[in-house]
Amino acid sequence: MAESNGVQSAVEIPADKAEILARPLEERDDIVVCENVHKWFDDFCAVRDVSMRVKRGEVVVIFGPSGSGKSTFIRMINRLEEHQQGRIVIDGIEMTNDVRNLDAIRREVGMVFQQFNLFPHITVLGNITLAPQRVRHLPRSEAEALAMRLLERVGIPEQAQKYPAELSGGQQQRVAIARALAMQPQIMLFDEPTSALDPEMIKEVLDAMRELAATGMTMLCVTHEMGFAREVADRMAFFDEGALVELGPPDQIFNNPQEDRTKMFLDQIL
Amino acid sequence: MTARAAPAPLPPATTVGVLGWLRKNLFSSRGSGIVTVLLAVLLGWVVVNLGIWVLVEADWTVIISRAPLYIVGLYPYEGYSRLAICLLLISVLLGMSWRAWPGPARRFAFAFGAVMLFVGVFPHEMAPEHRALLLLNLPFIGLGYVLTPRPAAANPGRLEAIAGGALAPALERIAIFSTPRRMVIAAFVALVLIMILILGIAGVPGLDPVNPADLGGLMINLLLAFFGIVCSLPIGIGLALGRRSNLPILRVACVIFIEVIRGVPLITLLFMSRHILPLTFPEELNIDRVYLAGITITIFSSAYMAENVRGGMAAVQAGQTEAAQALGLRGWQTTLLITLPQGLRNIIPAIVGQFISLFKDTSLVYFIGMLDLVEMGRVSVQGNQEFIDNGREVYLFIALVFWVFCFSMSFISRRIEGALGVGRR
Repeated sequence: MAESNGVQSAVEIPADKAEILARPLEERDDIVVCENVHKWFDDFCAVRDVSMRVKRGEVVVIFGPSGSGKSTFIRMINRLEEHQQGRIVIDGIEMTNDVRNLDAIRREVGMVFQQFNLFPHITVLGNITLAPQRVRHLPRSEAEALAMRLLERVGIPEQAQKYPAELSGGQQQRVAIARALAMQPQIMLFDEPTSALDPEMIKEVLDAMRELAATGMTMLCVTHEMGFAREVADRMAFFDEGALVELGPPDQIFNNPQEDRTKMFLDQIL
Repeated sequence: MTARAAPAPLPPATTVGVLGWLRKNLFSSRGSGIVTVLLAVLLGWVVVNLGIWVLVEADWTVIISRAPLYIVGLYPYEGYSRLAICLLLISVLLGMSWRAWPGPARRFAFAFGAVMLFVGVFPHEMAPEHRALLLLNLPFIGLGYVLTPRPAAANPGRLEAIAGGALAPALERIAIFSTPRRMVIAAFVALVLIMILILGIAGVPGLDPVNPADLGGLMINLLLAFFGIVCSLPIGIGLALGRRSNLPILRVACVIFIEVIRGVPLITLLFMSRHILPLTFPEELNIDRVYLAGITITIFSSAYMAENVRGGMAAVQAGQTEAAQALGLRGWQTTLLITLPQGLRNIIPAIVGQFISLFKDTSLVYFIGMLDLVEMGRVSVQGNQEFIDNGREVYLFIALVFWVFCFSMSFISRRIEGALGVGRR
């Protein structure tokens, strides 16, 4: 992660993360392993035969036309969608129907949605402290201290007592990031986090993601923000018609795509 | 160049103020002007004629002389002071609500106090001790008020501001209902006391048991409605959750229960509860019809409540459940913490509508021989030569009583909706 290490970060990187970040990508372990993963909706094959390995601390940007299965793919990583064939292993835990495995995986994986999906009936602080209290059984005071630290990190500590509806879209999405981080996940999934935002708010969310990448978080981001991808991604994955068409570093994808479909798609959107 | 924009232009004079309002709402076109005039004439004619009847021609003696029957039915006269004490407990609760939720609750406290004052000083036959107990409601509202701390938003509270804050420390010391939990406990204790006072306990002097069959009039409508409302909401939520459950037997049982109850008129259920259900009871078990009616009304209302709740929960966006799952919440945690609260907030108007119709449905208990307000009205007119011509007065009075309670409920509902921000995400 040569580029992202260059970003100035106000956040301290924990020692274990720093040690991992010090190693080059090739020498790190795989935190996400997908082998020949398939998913059907009735007869429609939404994801076909996708195999991908993601290194610890790596940032992978997933892009492709709508309906290409990219969202379905990352939703399988925390089992919002069930894969029907193939194998998924998250940080050494095999994804099965076993509830204990599922609980363990969901503790490892945080997710940020296109529509934020904040809980509208509780305050910003309540949104962030809910899962740490109920799932990780943190005492309330500790959960609130953690939430305030995270809100400061995403730059909106003064909004803690407000309700989500009182915040702008960009602020809501930053709260959503803080909420996911409060579970102290090893992996963060982003499902088009800026697609529902007005242009002037996209930057504040991307900045929060940039900062997160710089701390060594493993990230899988479905996004069409190609500037962000070029700058932050270690690798980019192009999906089309449910298949992983091309996977490579941004330099290869932008300057020397190996597949015609990748080139055609990039020509359309750039 | 300064960045300040030019002052915004004012709207034309014909679109603002009283004239603007009239023009926009009543006379926006020739057609609407004609409709306005015609309706105004019609409305004026009805109001004038009704007013003349109400004030001049109608004979309200029946209401005044039969008032105890309409309000408490055949409840024994010796127990009236017990009922008056119940009113005092309600006054304390109203005072608490006024302090804790100043806007809407203040009006109820005022209205309740005004009614008590009116009845307490009205020149009709009434024992002096009963008058005294009714008038005591006014200080009791105040008592509830001062026993409750001012809400955090009102700083300083209206009471604290008196005498330049000299009272504030004393007020803080006596404010015993200082947390929501304490207020709920206070309300619960008050309700238990009210039930004990109304029904009595065998062997306790001054609390001679009252035959439940003697409960009647408005009191029984209110008791049944209150019992039905308090019980049918949790039961309805339980049924709705059961209907959404993954367990097939539970789900099918809930569906059958809901659909059977909803498919039958309440009056049939009341009949069955009185005349068919007891056939299955052991001989010595004799449940009074009041309790059967309460249970039947609760069951009936629960089935409708269940469908309301289910609809409200179905309207919660799928993304909410996904976000909860992604955070690692279990299924039941997601339901209790995320889907259910939002679902209930969605259906506050429907819940209150359900309560209003439940309250009005309590008048159907005449069918199993109970003397509720409406039935008492009918009996007081038809069973008495003296008042045989006063049916109009009696039923107008009854309609007014029902309207006041139903309107109060929908008023509270609108205020709660506003407070909880229904309609905005």
